[in-house]
Amino acid sequence: MFCMLTLFPRFALLQSLQFWRLLYSLLKQVHGGQCTESDAIDTQIRFVKSALWYHGYGRPELYWLPSDGSAGSRELLLAFSWLLHRIGLLEQLLARNRVRTGDETSVCTCEDDLPNSQKGRTEIAPEYSLEDKVDVRYLQWLNGRLRFQWRSLHALHQEQCKLLHKIHLFTSGSHMDKILGHFSVTETDLIRRPENYKQLLQFLESETIQLEAFLEWKQLEQVYWRWMETVLDNMSEEGSMCKSQDAHTKKSTLPKVDSCCHWAGSLTGKIDRLSRDLMTVHDQLQELVTRRKSAWYEKMKTREEELQKEEFCAAARKIQEAVQLKLLDLTYRCALRKKKMHGSCRLVFRSKHSASKTGFGRSVSKEPISTVSATEVIRELQMRKASLERELKQLQEECRQRMDEVAQGLDGVICISP
Amino acid sequence: MLCAISSGGEQWSWLPCPWRRAVGVGACEHPTLLRPQRPRRVVGLQGSQTCQCTAVLLVSTLCFTLPRDTEDEEQLKPDRSSSNEQESRPSPKELEELELLNRALEKALKVRKSILKTPPEARGGREGEKAANEGPAPKNAQVQQVLVSSEGVPVTTKVRAVNKKPTSSKKPSSYLLTAPYRTDPDVKKPHRKAPARCVSQAPRTVGKSPSKAVASKQARNHRLAISASNQEVCGAAESQKTTGLSKCALLEQQSVSVGDSARGKNLIAAGRQLFDAGKEGCGSLGESSRKEDHTTEDALGRNNSPRTDTLQEKGSQLKFPPLYRKAYSRNSRAWENCRLYQSSADAAAARNRFIERIQTTFCSPMPAFSPAEIEEEVKVMQDVPLLLRQCVEAERADHPTLQREYESLLTLEGLQTIASQCLHKLQLLREAAESQMRLCPDCTGDAGSCCPDYVPPRGQVCGSTGVLAVPLLCYSSLQELRDLFALKLQVSMLNQEIAIQKVMMAELLPVLESRLHPEVSAIQLYRAIYTQLCEGGKRFPVLVRDELLE
Repeated sequence: MFCMLTLFPRFALLQSLQFWRLLYSLLKQVHGGQCTESDAIDTQIRFVKSALWYHGYGRPELYWLPSDGSAGSRELLLAFSWLLHRIGLLEQLLARNRVRTGDETSVCTCEDDLPNSQKGRTEIAPEYSLEDKVDVRYLQWLNGRLRFQWRSLHALHQEQCKLLHKIHLFTSGSHMDKILGHFSVTETDLIRRPENYKQLLQFLESETIQLEAFLEWKQLEQVYWRWMETVLDNMSEEGSMCKSQDAHTKKSTLPKVDSCCHWAGSLTGKIDRLSRDLMTVHDQLQELVTRRKSAWYEKMKTREEELQKEEFCAAARKIQEAVQLKLLDLTYRCALRKKKMHGSCRLVFRSKHSASKTGFGRSVSKEPISTVSATEVIRELQMRKASLERELKQLQEECRQRMDEVAQGLDGVICISP
Repeated sequence: MLCAISSGGEQWSWLPCPWRRAVGVGACEHPTLLRPQRPRRVVGLQGSQTCQCTAVLLVSTLCFTLPRDTEDEEQLKPDRSSSNEQESRPSPKELEELELLNRALEKALKVRKSILKTPPEARGGREGEKAANEGPAPKNAQVQQVLVSSEGVPVTTKVRAVNKKPTSSKKPSSYLLTAPYRTDPDVKKPHRKAPARCVSQAPRTVGKSPSKAVASKQARNHRLAISASNQEVCGAAESQKTTGLSKCALLEQQSVSVGDSARGKNLIAAGRQLFDAGKEGCGSLGESSRKEDHTTEDALGRNNSPRTDTLQEKGSQLKFPPLYRKAYSRNSRAWENCRLYQSSADAAAARNRFIERIQTTFCSPMPAFSPAEIEEEVKVMQDVPLLLRQCVEAERADHPTLQREYESLLTLEGLQTIASQCLHKLQLLREAAESQMRLCPDCTGDAGSCCPDYVPPRGQVCGSTGVLAVPLLCYSSLQELRDLFALKLQVSMLNQEIAIQKVMMAELLPVLESRLHPEVSAIQLYRAIYTQLCEGGKRFPVLVRDELLE
């Protein structure tokens, strides 16, 4: 694909169909899906259109293109260029398909909704149809099995940690890259049995070629963008003539908001929930503030003279600054929360006393690779765990209350909770 | 299952043999598993089985003649296992049998070796002896369950050879027998303790020249790795581009020294597992999914000191093979160049010009946020209420001094401002979402079929520049690493529990509340549901009949 990019004038010769397919496969890759080549062209086109919409592409001409892929190669070209910039398409592709030889783990603390949650639900459902009665003991059994699996998984993870650590420890100091400092499991195995890793080598080499092509492209970038401007110019000249007619007809087909969309529904639901929570916090705060304020003014009334004193004013100013900093930090934290890494990181062992030896000094000269320390991640995980536990307890409390109500209905039985 | 229901205070999590529980409803009714006459029958089958099964059965035989040392082992056994516990030492007859079996194993191993034709096989034999010579070094039967995946097929042949290590039994409890891998893909894991102790044998990574046990270790590695790769899938693993072989290296490890008691336990667990599998005719044990197949590695501290030292000594002097080293350095240089490349100012200007111009051609009332941005912002805001609440809680305490009170007041006011700002932003986001819906291309036709085609990118937070470098996660001690993994698993577990809880609430509570269950005793149902919903399935309430009413 990169080779193609360096010969970009040929894009103009690409048939629309091919271009749609190209965009489809690229976007699918970027979004982590599997490219199902067998998809019909109109499915692919729909996917591309919704992807472009999702990222905020607003050129209506693209959305008006027919779904048999017969026209619009220049529109697609514009869209493609816009994507290049907007989501860093090339960089994302490179990153996604990167050959990973390190011990990877992810630090993402968010648990997104299950993918395909709508479709998935019917697939995950067990063999029982809704008419069959499901024994609650089956439920208990499943639950127990789940717990067992979790425990086994935990044990295995712990074993894995031990082994990883050993390898990291024992191979410290031998890696070519001093920032990493030690080998990963794959690399260690590679050293022992190089013949098993021929494919890895090939991948590595082809990746290097891709990277070099990318660099080449970057150097020619300017020409590309200037060319795109000319394309845009040409198109707007041609388009302005027939635009007025089309716009009128198209707009009438746009439906009302409340007709469909699962996406909007879930999102607005989230927003509403958030607003509700924030509203309660806000109201709480309001009440608290008014109460405190009145108490404060009461106090101040009796200490008029004190307020006039210089020291108090200076102290007050300092306090104000401190508070502002605190709040700023809070807003920063709010905003920054999700800027944390979501992808996978390479595990690197850096013992405390060897920190001085591992070439930190050298790495400072160039732009350092972003590093997260395990302590931070652990802290964040602990906070998340605490909040999740709270949520679970709350749910259980709610259940308990409802069960108590039910218990009142059961005559002759008293339920003593453990 | 049924037993569990009737015995009120029993906690699921502490049932001795979860693997039996996992088998299904009939689990409680298999007390026959450990009767002494089993081994006889097993041996009888020997002739008709393949070599693998032979070894399987052999191991199981051996296991049941082992002395039961510790009381921990008592826990492992089902309460109904009776007769085996009486045996404290294997009788001479059984020792003889053992010898026979060992010799049979040796033969089988030779057969495998000839199939494989790999040179290290002979070394494998030597290794076994050498290990056996290390008296105090613990030796356990290594029982491996292998999930046969398509990648594993070429590997498994090696694995077979590896596993048929002959044992030189000095004492009854020091069998060096290794069961072969299993061909059946769906054998359940026997015991939850087993994996905890199970440590895969480490291939000793000796620098350039492969050690004598390299082949065997490699094979074991591969096998372990296949299963490990499954665990990775189960866990929070990311898919890697490198082949499964690279995952094979995951469980490389140094020797594990396991105590005598553990050895015994492992054998028993292993044996039981094998036996169970054998009983089922080497078939799958029912509804175990692929994810449940774990390799059970009972630690074998076989190749203790020499191997450990090898990696330990030479680890810091290891070097990449030259071909790889060249490729690697080229690759990392290329990545560095890409990462550090700064677009020239002209290029950036040209690009921005184009983007501006194209954006002027967009639909004129473009919403303030693109759908991607809306989602992003909402995600960011998810934690805001919690943070604010925490801050409010912090400020609720009484403040001794005037200054503290003033500070607290200011803070609260500031928090209030932040809250209202966030609310305002949410309002904006909502409006943007609605206007985006008007523009949604899929909505131009059929209702209800739009947008689900598009799965928004996961984890696409960083901008384009940040993406070109793999960030590093640095840990400073083993404990940290363990905590990290443990916490990640716990967070994911909690998420799942919460989701399950919500679904169960939605499904089960209406059943109770509507009282449409004439055929089932309401009380039992109540108890079961109470446990699940309110106690997380761990504890049972006590239901007392209120006799006084009568």
